[in-house]
Parts: sequence; structure tokens; C-alpha cells
Amino acid sequence: MRGAWRKLPGMARRFWMQLREWCGDASYERYLRAAHRKNAANLATPEQFYIEQLERRYSKPNRCC
Amino acid sequence: MKKFVSAFIWIAIAVTGAGALAAIALQRNERISATWFVVAAVCFYLVAYRFYAAFLAAKMVALDDTRATPAERNDDGRDFVATNKWVLFGHHFAAIAGPGPLVGPTLAAQFGYLPGTLWLIAGAAFAGCVQDFVILFCSIRRNGKSLGEMARDEVGKRGGFIAQLAVLAILIILLGVVALVVVNALKTSPWATFTLAMTIPIALLMGVYLRYWRPGRVLEASVIGLALVMFVVVAGQWVAESASWAGVFTLSGVALAYWIIAYGFAASALPVWLLLAPRDYLSAFIKAGAIFSLAAGILIVRPEIQMPALTKFVDGSGPVFAGKIFPFCFITIACGAISGFHSLISSGTTPKMIQREGHARFIGYGAMLLESFVGVMAMVAACAMQPGVYFAINSPAGVVGATPEGVAATISGWGYQLDPQTMINMAHAVGEQTLFNRAGGAPSLAVGMAQIFSSTIGGERLMSIWYHFAIMFEALFILTVLDAGTRVGRFMVQEMGGRVWKPFAQTSWMPSVVISSAFVVGAWGYFLYQGVIDPFGGINSLWPLFGIANQLLAAVALVVATTILLKMGRLKWIFVTVVPMAWLITVTMTASWQKIFSDNARIGFLSGAKALKAQIAAGKIPAAKITEIQRTIFNLRMDTVVTAVLAAMILVLVAEALFRWTAILTKRSEAVLHETPYVATQWVAGAEGD
Repeated sequence: MRGAWRKLPGMARRFWMQLREWCGDASYERYLRAAHRKNAANLATPEQFYIEQLERRYSKPNRCC
Repeated sequence: MKKFVSAFIWIAIAVTGAGALAAIALQRNERISATWFVVAAVCFYLVAYRFYAAFLAAKMVALDDTRATPAERNDDGRDFVATNKWVLFGHHFAAIAGPGPLVGPTLAAQFGYLPGTLWLIAGAAFAGCVQDFVILFCSIRRNGKSLGEMARDEVGKRGGFIAQLAVLAILIILLGVVALVVVNALKTSPWATFTLAMTIPIALLMGVYLRYWRPGRVLEASVIGLALVMFVVVAGQWVAESASWAGVFTLSGVALAYWIIAYGFAASALPVWLLLAPRDYLSAFIKAGAIFSLAAGILIVRPEIQMPALTKFVDGSGPVFAGKIFPFCFITIACGAISGFHSLISSGTTPKMIQREGHARFIGYGAMLLESFVGVMAMVAACAMQPGVYFAINSPAGVVGATPEGVAATISGWGYQLDPQTMINMAHAVGEQTLFNRAGGAPSLAVGMAQIFSSTIGGERLMSIWYHFAIMFEALFILTVLDAGTRVGRFMVQEMGGRVWKPFAQTSWMPSVVISSAFVVGAWGYFLYQGVIDPFGGINSLWPLFGIANQLLAAVALVVATTILLKMGRLKWIFVTVVPMAWLITVTMTASWQKIFSDNARIGFLSGAKALKAQIAAGKIPAAKITEIQRTIFNLRMDTVVTAVLAAMILVLVAEALFRWTAILTKRSEAVLHETPYVATQWVAGAEGD
């Protein structure tokens, strides 16, 4: 029981991170991580990234019947 | 020992599932609990996933976890992003689950609970999941290519063109039909209309928040949006009770159709961040919440199924829509068992985000199983209400009459007792003026959901709130499909127009945006208007048209999958795609034939037009109605042309595919696969969000 209690914060943190990933809240952070891995220059600002991401997502079928 | 325990558990699951299915199938003249539906579906899904999906993954496509996926090859932090499999499952499910699995089973309940439930469960396991999974696999192996690109590369240029045309056709028909479902749910309902109208300023507020105040903070904006939506659901009651405001939000079907057409145009032409994206965020959260609440509600309440296993309407005389159980049950269920549209998602974002090939089984096959379960729940919600009430809500006035007494007499005459007072009391309980003649599936589903929810929380007192929450939930995500679909249609028209005149393809050039948006909105608006003025409620002619288009696209996807599997040398196992493909072609062609040529005026478009023409000639139509009837005749002929074009497209594609398969099997042509070459993964298992 105590072991399960100790695991709870970790599980809650993982759930929170996955929820942020699922809804797109963490997209910019993910973009920064990818850019960092590739040592990319000229990074987009959060606002630029947000708009550009939406334009791409909604130019193809992304919601079904 | 471990093997023995595992075998014992799986035998127990299989036997329990078979027992539950037998209880559903063999029970007659006695009411059964919805628990049997849940147990049968879950056990069947578990066995299908554990054995059939594992067989597909191992033998049929041979998933390879040592192979780098597109997300690893192209890792750009934008489109190609390796994503945790649970998160991607959520993304994929949110993308494939639309109004179809809720509305289709609700309409198909007119045949009784049995045929629809069996097709939802078995159709998903052997057709829908197979399509989603195999197309996802094919796209992963082709660097995330779309269905159209794969059809062009693997089947031929005509295949690619047909796939593209089919996508545009299905989009337009789909948008017209789902808009009609919204109109039928909102007409003469000030509460529901107010609630849905208020979601527009809420979405605009969220859009501004996400664009200027806190860019990309989706969770914060969604929490604010959700709180406001809940408030307007409750506030809708005050509006409906206000003598002055109720009139403003009480709109006829035609008026609502014009508003929705104007809204669709605005959503397509406005910047995506302002209205479309925030509404989508809101819709995704509400969709997930409502679906899980419905599942929990069914498990807690365990309602009794009141609808018989089979109704007399299996003979084709159904009031909700006309046509025999074969092929119309399958055409009507559509997305809950197999949806062609899913192949666009499986070859869209998902393959670009998958971390390992091995995850394709869980995401492609598993998410479709969950969608099928949503369909089963919708079937339970529809069948848990009294059959008389179900038919009174879903039957158009042209079939059952317009007065409460007339409707009750007609429906009672079919053997489903209905007291007009029951309907009046129910309308009062859910805060509506009337529940008669509300074809389209959404109101009856909302009544079913409200009954289940109010049995869990709030009782009768909260029935009206739950009903309007359910209507708002359905209408909200239908409008999301409408926004997103119109915009995608606009891009497709711009791309096609750009082939004729290059500047037209510029997606930010305003004249092109306005013309292409007007074209797409005009096209689905035509179908919507046609449905609204149809004396048979519109659903009778438009939902089968949508089903045919949808299943046609699924057949296209399975043709592409079969061609690729043949080229991979999987002839031995080819039945897994050939059998569902042959079934879909048979169903689609039979339905198309009957919709065009049936002698029954309620089924055949041509005989329907002929019957109306004869009525005009015989002077049976009042002079004031002649223009309207002539318009209906024109619409029926237009539907004939659309159905014939859809059927011709599938015939051309099948002929081309047969030619290609024969050439491959007789070795007349080389089986060239267009896979990206093998690159070993550099990612260690457990890293990157595993």
C-alpha cells in the first residue's frame, strides 16, 4: 500500500505530461527539443510556431466522420 | 504453467464472450440487460486483438521494430514527431471518432438491436480495424504518404485520381448530411440553438487567448472554454423560458440551414487560429468526456433493452429510412464498423508520429475497436428507450403524420404502443416543445443519453440539462467536422484549380480563398437544403448516399492494401483484405443499384421522382406546393447522378486493380513496391517516451 502511495506522484506527473502531449499544450517544448537535437538556428517563437502548426494541421483531413 | 494459465484465461474470455453473444442473439420476448452487450463486445474485442490482430501484425505485414519509422528518419519537431503510443492512440482515436458511430447505429436500430450490434462488433474486428491497421502500416513503410499518393504509386494513376475524387465527394456529402443532423437537432429548440450559438463567441475568445495572450497554452484555454460551455448549457434554460429571447433563438429548419451555411463559409475563410482550432480543442475534450461518461453510465445503470432483436422493418418498410436489412443496415452503420475516412487519418498524421512499427497494431487496430465500442453504446442508448418513443422521434412527418394523435395511432398500429401523453411528458422533461418528427438520430440519442445520465446523477430534475448537454456535445463536434472538412475541401479545390491556373493554388490569396470556400460550402449546402425541405426528412435519401460514399472510400483503401500485400508476396493471407473488400463492393453496388432503380418510391430516386411527377400530373399536389415538389424531383435526379458516379468510380478502380493483380500473379509485370529502403533504428527501446 505504501509502495503504491509512493508511486502516485510519478503516475500523476506522467498522466499530466501525456495529457499535455495529447492536447497539443506541449508542442512547442517538443519542437524546441527537436531543434536542440539538430542544433537548428532561427527558432520560431511560440506564437509563430502555434500559427504555423495550425495551418499545417488543418490543411489535410484530420477529423473523421 | 504460465502458458496453461494464459490459455485458461483466454478460453474463459472467449467462452464468456460467446455466451454473451448467444444471449443477445437468442433472447426473444424477454428484455435483456445492456450488460450483455458490453460483455459480448469487450470479450470479442479482446480475443480479436490478442489473436487476429497479432496474426496480422506477425504474419500478414510482419511489423519490424528494428526498422526506423518516418518519425525517426525525418524528426523535425513539427510533422514528424515520435510520440508515446498512448498519447498517439488518443490522437488517433480523437481524429477517427466523429458523429458517424453515434448517428449510424441509432438510425440502424429501426431493424432491431441484433443486426446492427453484430455488424458493429464483427465488422470492426474483420473489416474496419484491418483497413485502419494495414493502411497505417503501408503509410509507415512509405514515409507517411497519403492514401491518394499510395494509390497512384501502387495501383496506377487512375487509382490515385479516383481516390482523390472519392475523398472530395465523400467530404461534400458527409458535410451536407452531418449539417442536416444538426439542423434537425436544433430546429424549434431555443435552448439547444442558444447553447450552440454561444460556443462561437467562446471559441473566438479561446482563439484570441491562444494567439495573443498565451500562445499555444491549449489546456488553460480549454479549461476556460469548458467552464463557459457548461455555463451556457445551463443558461440555455433561462433563454428558453424568457418570452422575449426564446423567439430570437427559435428557428425553422430552413433558417438554421442558412445560418449553418454562412457559418461554414466563415469558418473556412477566417484564419484557422480564430475559430476552427479552438473549437476543435473544446470539442476534443467534450467528446472524450461524454464518451467515457456514457460508458460509465451504461455500466452503472445497466439499462434494459426495450427494442426487440428484430423489428418488422427488416423487410425494407422502415419509417426512419427505407430499404431492406441487406444492404442498408451495413450502409447505415458505416463508421462504427468500417469507415473509408479512417484511411485518410491512418495515412495522414498518425504514421508520421508513430515511434515503432510494433505500435501500429495498438493504434491502428485498437483505436478502431474503441470506435466500434462507441457504436455499441449508441445502439444501447437508442434501444433502451421504448420502441414507440424511438420511432416517434426518428420518423418524419411524411411517414407517420404531424399530429401527436396521428403519430401515436400510426406507431401503435405497427405494434409499438405509444401514448401521445408519453411524448408530451418526455418533451417537457427534456425542456423541448416537441420531440415528434426529429429525424437524424441526434435527438433520440440525446434522449437515450439523458435517461442514462439522469439515472446516475440528478434524476428527473437534471434530465433537461443532460439532454441539452448531449445535444450540445453532438452538435459541437459535428460543427468541428464541418469547419475542418470545409477547410480541407477548400484546399483540395484550390489544388485542383491550381492545375488549370497556377495562382488559384495559393492558399492565402483572398479571391481564391473566397471562390473555393464558396464552392465547397455551396456544394454541401445544396445537399443540406435538399434534406431540410425533403418531406421525408432528408435522412432517408442522404444518409444512404453518405454511407455509399464512405464505404466506397473504404473499398478504395482495401484495394490499395490488397495490391500492396500482393506485391509483398502475401498471397496466402490475402483473404484478410480481399474478403472485406469484396463484401464492401457487394454492399455498395447493391445499395447504389437499389437507390437508383428500385420500384419502391421511398427507396429508388428515379421511382420517387416518377411518383411525384405522376402526382403533379394527376392534380394531387396543391398549386402552392408545385414549385417545392418540382425542386424535390430535381434533387432526386441529382442524387441519381451522384450515386451513379460513385458506383462507376468503384467499378473503374476494381477493373484497374484486377488488371494489375492478374499481371502480378501471372508475372507479366514486375511487382515493384514503393517502400522506403530499410534503415535500422538508432533508438533504444524505452527511450523517446516509451
